[in-house]
Amino acid sequence: MDKNNTQTNSFSLSNDKVSVAILLIPALIFCTIFIFIPAIGTIVGSFYSYSLTSMNNWKWVGFGNYVKATQDEYFWVALKNNFIIVFASIVLQVGVGTILAAILDRGIKHGKVIFRTIIFTPMVISSVAVSLIWLIIYDPNVGILNAIFKSIGLPTPSKGWLGDPNISIWMIMITAAWQNTGFMMVLILAGLQSVSKEVYDAAEIDGATGVKAFWYITLPMIRNVLIVAILITTIGAFKVFEFIFVFTGGGPANATQVLGTYIYLQAFNLLHMGYANAISVILLIIALFLGWLQLTSSRKA
Amino acid sequence: MTRFKLANLIAYGFVSLFSIYVLMPIIVMVLTTFKSKREIFLEPLGLPSQFGLSSFEKALSVGLGSFMLNSLIVSFFAVFLIVTISGMAAYVLSRIDFKINKFVYLLIVAGFAIPPAAVLVPLYTMVSNLNLLNSLFGVIMPLTAFGIPFTVILFYAFFLDFPKEVEEAATIDGCTKLQIFFRIIVPLSGPVIASAAIFQTVWIWNEFLLALIMLTSDDFKTLPIGLLKLRGEWTSDWGAIMAGLTIAVIPVLIVFLIFQKYFVRSLAGLGK
Repeated sequence: MDKNNTQTNSFSLSNDKVSVAILLIPALIFCTIFIFIPAIGTIVGSFYSYSLTSMNNWKWVGFGNYVKATQDEYFWVALKNNFIIVFASIVLQVGVGTILAAILDRGIKHGKVIFRTIIFTPMVISSVAVSLIWLIIYDPNVGILNAIFKSIGLPTPSKGWLGDPNISIWMIMITAAWQNTGFMMVLILAGLQSVSKEVYDAAEIDGATGVKAFWYITLPMIRNVLIVAILITTIGAFKVFEFIFVFTGGGPANATQVLGTYIYLQAFNLLHMGYANAISVILLIIALFLGWLQLTSSRKA
Repeated sequence: MTRFKLANLIAYGFVSLFSIYVLMPIIVMVLTTFKSKREIFLEPLGLPSQFGLSSFEKALSVGLGSFMLNSLIVSFFAVFLIVTISGMAAYVLSRIDFKINKFVYLLIVAGFAIPPAAVLVPLYTMVSNLNLLNSLFGVIMPLTAFGIPFTVILFYAFFLDFPKEVEEAATIDGCTKLQIFFRIIVPLSGPVIASAAIFQTVWIWNEFLLALIMLTSDDFKTLPIGLLKLRGEWTSDWGAIMAGLTIAVIPVLIVFLIFQKYFVRSLAGLGK
């Protein structure tokens, strides 16, 4: 979004303060009470030790919770998993989404709307429902994934698709890609459709067609849309919660935790509110950094 | 020429395979609903031999109807509040030009970046202290707040491109900004209001984390939280679980198919 300061402004603020206040204040009140004050509360609370059951019994621990995080093996596992999910999501969702968008834009003539509608569909289904649907597909007893693997003679994992963390993290990625790739496709398709026909005509004269034209001409032209797509995917990857909550609950032995589920575990299962706040602050810093990146990149656009 | 045909084949092949990957779980969900327990275990890849409806009865017995009603109430009020409040704020931000504007804008972007998980504990404490746990109001308020920043950004971009002549004329006629907004801007903002409402409805209808910590009583659970109860109640009765999911998912899919053009349009605008 462009912050445009050259707009003509024929209204003077001074004689319409009341209107401005009425229009602006509700948004500020809502965001302050439910986003900014809790954000400050997270930071303050991260320096204390307390639990839900002893709400009035706060104990100052300074940077103790942060020191604890650096020494907590599972915090690092959660952070690492978030980063794996970021990179895998960019490849699977933005990468495949770009290929699908390119095919729908210029690769095929028939059935564009049908394909687009089908591939976009999972976006409107809640992540909990998506997780539960995939749970039956991955199930070792009744799941079709096992059935398909067995029917073509391939081995199936002995602990099930979700029992071995080395495998289950990829099962989580496949499910996340199932839900989100269509969104990336539509986003990138909108960018592709803004590339004018003349560009392709000129490219064809220079001998660039098909994949070559896409790689050298189209991709650089939709660079900004791709950056937005990557940032949305990255932000989304740090918000991952439902898939892991439903599939593995962060287990076995915390091997599939991400920051979101680990904060939930520490706060609402173990009642380590102060410690949960410290991990939240780390998530907050990552989120604000990504938000700042998005802002600066869209200003350049 | 043969090379061209091959490229064509690969293109159609790729989108077709991907479409099968997308459709397959939905088909499994619906088919499992009608299968008998025996069929589910013995023939995972088979079709149901008859269309039994007993799974639906089991699924409805966990209270899906009331979860859905709660979701409707939460979605309606939260989306109404988000769209109204965001539209008002975005209009001011797009029309006035003074120092606080930039500050407010940065706040809004920061608010957009902060995920609910990062403020979970203080938010829970606050709602708990206000005695609003297990009330729809207690979940509508924070959800509204988290929906506002993104919607302000959406409206802001739209209002910047809005022709200013009409507003200038109205100002000369002595209208206040408030009157201009409600009498001139709102009636001409149909498309962006629809986009924002669609976007937020999908988000609120599916929101999980805040509802999970705040709504623990069955009477107030929204659909995403309620769906977990299916697994709790019918542990390995996949027919019942899938029937519940079918009941929850199919209406949303129908609404999506009817309005798919608008859905796609509202999402596509994000990249601009």
